[in-house]
Amino acid sequence: MMLLVKRIFLFTFVALLSHGVVARVTHAESREKQKVVYHINVDDRKVLNTAMKTIQNHLGAVGADNLDLRVVLHGNGIALLQLAHSDPTFQGKVKSLKRQGVHFIVCHSTLAARKIDFKKDLYDVTEADIVPSGVAEIAHLQSQGFSYVKP
Amino acid sequence: MNHDDKFSDEYLNAFIDDQLTPEEREQVYARLSHDEALKQQVCRLRQVSDLVSLAYKQVPQPAPGLRTAKAGKWFGLGLAAGLALAVSAVAGWLLFPSSTPNPGSPVAQAMSPSAAVASADNVEKVLIHISDGQPLHLKNALDEVESLMRFYRKSNQQAHVEVITNGDGLNLLLADTTAYAARIERMQKEYAGLTFVACQNTIDRFKNELGVSVRLLPGVVVTDSGVAQIMRRQHQGWAYIQV
Repeated sequence: MMLLVKRIFLFTFVALLSHGVVARVTHAESREKQKVVYHINVDDRKVLNTAMKTIQNHLGAVGADNLDLRVVLHGNGIALLQLAHSDPTFQGKVKSLKRQGVHFIVCHSTLAARKIDFKKDLYDVTEADIVPSGVAEIAHLQSQGFSYVKP
Repeated sequence: MNHDDKFSDEYLNAFIDDQLTPEEREQVYARLSHDEALKQQVCRLRQVSDLVSLAYKQVPQPAPGLRTAKAGKWFGLGLAAGLALAVSAVAGWLLFPSSTPNPGSPVAQAMSPSAAVASADNVEKVLIHISDGQPLHLKNALDEVESLMRFYRKSNQQAHVEVITNGDGLNLLLADTTAYAARIERMQKEYAGLTFVACQNTIDRFKNELGVSVRLLPGVVVTDSGVAQIMRRQHQGWAYIQV
């Protein structure tokens, strides 16, 4: 009788603990993505192309599922989505990155200052992609644990 | 009480327990001297009383070992069970960190000045790094800094923003050659949390390699090494942005 009771307690304990471990593993997989923010504020095509290559390399090295990668575009960097709007090769590269989970974030201050209509002039931008200040967004993301990369 | 009446057991028990008054006791003693039946009655009751007293004086102790062992077993088991439960609860609590929606998601940020989330002590700390001295670059850099300060002001967000210049970026702060003396002076007056910083290593290099004696704009702070200051600030939890 005593042995049975002991066994019941042991089973319950192990069950609870292993449930927690399994939950932690799956929880960990979904929560602990590498977080990085890429900052682009130049319109030099060479720099933009290199930046996209770098991002692709990053995805390849870490795995798209393990990466929360955001590209903040402000100032001259808005050119990346203007080019993607008009240039099919550029568009193909941006599309490919987006399919792999990359978020392109656009600065509203820049749009307002340059009188850019995000629906007409930029490739595939919705209101959800727009932040009030690109620089403030970069600072904010760093406070949330994002690493900063300036390609 | 009548001389010939029988005493009740209750009365006699009181006599035996010495709870009668002296007069009552005298009465009983008087009757006992010639009443054989009463003698026997008192004797019987006294025996019962003595047996009861004896029983209360000698309460049998539990058999040593048997009951204690049982209690210990249950106690140990109960303790183990409680411990297992407590450890499981704590393990579960630790292994299930509370999940919060990602506050940095684009949806959360869209079109709202109040979406800026402050650092733990409610002051945003941002380091802006300028190392390129080309005139257009410097203009864009100042535009970005001002845009940032305006945003924080609009969202009632306290902020310390440090603009650190090294390399060719130092040109921004050279009193003799900069195109932005007035603009920087205005920005310094307008935004209390804004500081312009010059790198001493770069100042020395300008002197030694270019023969330029650096004179800085008023209010500019000097740091020993720009890159060292960048590292220090990041260690202190400042955000770093290269514009």
